Amino acid sequence: MSSLPSFPASAPADQPLPHEAYLTAIASLEQVGPARMRWLLTHGSPERVWQLLKAGKISHPPSQLAIKPQELSKWVSEANQANPHYLWRRCCAMGVGVVSLGSPGYPPALANDIDPPVVLFHLGNPDLITAPSVAIVGTRRATGYGLRVAEQLGAGLAEAGVMVISGLALGIDAAAHAGALNAGPRGAAVAAVVGAGLDSPCPVRNRKLAARVVGSGVIFSEVPPYISAAPWRFPVRNRILAALADLVVVVESAGAGGSMHTVKEALARDIPILSVPGPIDSRASEGTNRLLSDGAEPCLCVDDILMALGMARGSPRSTQLSAPQPALESRPAPDEAGERALSVIGWRPVSVEHLGLRSGLDFKQLARTLSWLETHGWIQRTGGWIERRARQDSFPKRATGA
Amino acid sequence: MLAEVPSATLLGVEGHPVLVEVHVGHGLPGFTVVGLPDASCREARDRVRAAVLSSKLKWPDTRITVNLAPTHVRKVGSGLDLAIAMALLGASEQLSPEVLQGFAFLGELGLNGTLRPVLGMLPLVDSLRADRVVVPADNLAEATLVRPEARGVRTLRELVDALRGEQPWPNSPLLELPPTPQDLYCDLAEVQGHPVARQALEVVATGGHHVLMVGPPGSGKTMLAERLPSLLPDLDSRGAMDVSRVHSAAGLLRVHNGLLTRPPFRSPHHTASLVALIGGGSTMLRPGEVSLSSGGVLFLDELGEFPAAHLDALRQPLESGIIRVARANANVTLPARFILVAATNPCPCGIGQWGECRCTPGQIARYGRRLSAPLLDRFDIRLAVDPPEAALVFSPERTGESSSAVRSRVELARLRALERGVSSNRELRGEALEKFAPLCKQGQKLLRSRLESGTLSMRGAQRTRAVALTLRDLAGTGGPITTDDLEGALLLRGEEQQVGVVA
Repeated sequence: MSSLPSFPASAPADQPLPHEAYLTAIASLEQVGPARMRWLLTHGSPERVWQLLKAGKISHPPSQLAIKPQELSKWVSEANQANPHYLWRRCCAMGVGVVSLGSPGYPPALANDIDPPVVLFHLGNPDLITAPSVAIVGTRRATGYGLRVAEQLGAGLAEAGVMVISGLALGIDAAAHAGALNAGPRGAAVAAVVGAGLDSPCPVRNRKLAARVVGSGVIFSEVPPYISAAPWRFPVRNRILAALADLVVVVESAGAGGSMHTVKEALARDIPILSVPGPIDSRASEGTNRLLSDGAEPCLCVDDILMALGMARGSPRSTQLSAPQPALESRPAPDEAGERALSVIGWRPVSVEHLGLRSGLDFKQLARTLSWLETHGWIQRTGGWIERRARQDSFPKRATGA
Repeated sequence: MLAEVPSATLLGVEGHPVLVEVHVGHGLPGFTVVGLPDASCREARDRVRAAVLSSKLKWPDTRITVNLAPTHVRKVGSGLDLAIAMALLGASEQLSPEVLQGFAFLGELGLNGTLRPVLGMLPLVDSLRADRVVVPADNLAEATLVRPEARGVRTLRELVDALRGEQPWPNSPLLELPPTPQDLYCDLAEVQGHPVARQALEVVATGGHHVLMVGPPGSGKTMLAERLPSLLPDLDSRGAMDVSRVHSAAGLLRVHNGLLTRPPFRSPHHTASLVALIGGGSTMLRPGEVSLSSGGVLFLDELGEFPAAHLDALRQPLESGIIRVARANANVTLPARFILVAATNPCPCGIGQWGECRCTPGQIARYGRRLSAPLLDRFDIRLAVDPPEAALVFSPERTGESSSAVRSRVELARLRALERGVSSNRELRGEALEKFAPLCKQGQKLLRSRLESGTLSMRGAQRTRAVALTLRDLAGTGGPITTDDLEGALLLRGEEQQVGVVA
């Protein structure tokens, strides 16, 4: 493995290493995920497994792990080149905390899981992980609607004292984190579970956000810090995300993908799932709408999540439905041209061009109407597209950390 | 014997007078050209010799020295052939010096004595001080644009006979030219739909604002851009001369009834080299696309596909309206006062529709980063172009206004910019904007609220004001800028970042 430093195996062993160090070294081997890790550890203590690996005495892998003979011999040569002392020092130098299954400090939510990670790396304060916590997941390719909802839910939950957990990916994940962090010091702590090493836990664009998460929460990873992301690690990470949460909220998701994988992991653990409805013709809401029709609870506001957690505040949703929007509508009513524009915009983003053509408003009216609608929070403009907004939100329009 | 004849050489889009001196003296037969000639200019000696001999004239079998003065200016190309030949005939006493008096000669010689046209005849003739100018017949139309009394000849023999008075001057053999087409550019009436883009084009034509169009393939970006020059008013006499000079220097001048009067439209492909775009080259310092589009429209389709270095090289001409090309042995200033129209897709897959785009967020971000922020900043108008609906495309009725109708409005509104001492509102900056574009109370409030909410930058606010002023000019009623104008300008300005619309 290229990212594994080759170091003379004869480097001085100044003191006995904790067994987490050997776990780190084993986890650093190429193509070793949780299942292979568990099989390797059936051979004894982590230190013994490491010695056996170096001696090439581990063989006959079970067929369901699909370990090729070349991979086994690769591990042997890697184990002989790598130095657990060096790897361990590198971990410590980065300020990464390492806990193993069964040791104190290991998150209790994971300890009782059906598939707990053997070793867990973290940046930040892991003690902040306390019930209740909610995972907000969704697509990387979110629409403005999805991003806005994720941000509002994140902020609302943080203010209610609920820990928001997400994956620090682009799109919904980042919006949820940003929303929760924007709640400020009043808000609850934030947690992230990432699929890459903590050295570069997320896409470059989310680096600032990741730093903020570390500052007021914790980032977990099952992967040693210096390992870079690989596609197969993300689905594996999703099980930790699901296991840590008391509840999973899917904001926007295509019919298949990472979020749906998290949902599957949550179902396997009997964790309730809430889904945010979206337009039926939007690809980004395909998965969430499917979940709703399959029986997932709809998530229409923060209170729905809080109710599902058993910490509802305010009135139950049924009364909200019977006493609907007009009372809540704080925006001034648009004039006739505004109504016409809004009816053309509908609930999918349209271009200015399209709006002008369909509404029949001339340029001057169009400019005036759009400006009025934007000022009063009826629409939002993103990259030349116009979107209608269901309500005036109380949070800043742009995710500052994203 | 010594003879001297004036001529000129081309550098950039300017002609530089050159005095051709020929000395025919004693010594071994030889022929040397001195005075910083480039390769094609030094080859003149072989062409001149063959042309003189095949025109049944005598070649002096002695030492011949040609000097091209001033000797520090680099002489480029074959345009000095004829002048060298005439000076040689004078020096070898085949033509009397009085006959050559007051004449200047331009033209390339063929081996059989025919005269061939040269590049840049218009600026070359313009730079000559001589009363009478002789040019190749093929170049005569171009030369008469600045010197109506210029003479055009077909062969060296014809010229010598005329100068000796043995034959009359050949009557001006103006080329058979097709009549000027009504307008070279397509009509706006052919565009279906696009109500906002139409308005934007009108504003662009009036205010000279640079415009960026973002839209999926087939949405009509190119179609709209091609129709912009048809909205521009005719060039004034100075503008026409400038445009014609540049086109002449590039060998692109097709003379119909005088100078070019319609604004040029250039759309270089994105594989164009930096020199082709900006101008230059090691010897000729030819005008590039930015100069050829000066006075008109430079259309860069697929802006994101242009190399970043080429795009950033556009920033200086966009700011100053000229481009300075410097080489070790020459330094020229070329005109570059164009309206930049750029088109790009919103993302690599081109669709850019919410939920239908197949690009990853990383791809989209990379695509957006190709356009540097300082360049994007120079677009006063950023337009999201949407494909028109199918029903409109096939509808038989054409409802849109024609180019000429829009152009008459544009011409009227442009007069107001001229009253302010600039050719277009685009050139108004800081102080001038304060003076000419006063805001009404609500207008100030509107801009301030946009500035405070962070949706508009300080420079953005200034540019919005310039576009609003153009809208005011188009309305034609004068007075301070209203909120309607500002809202229109804000609508046209669009978002700071339009490329990569999927968040």
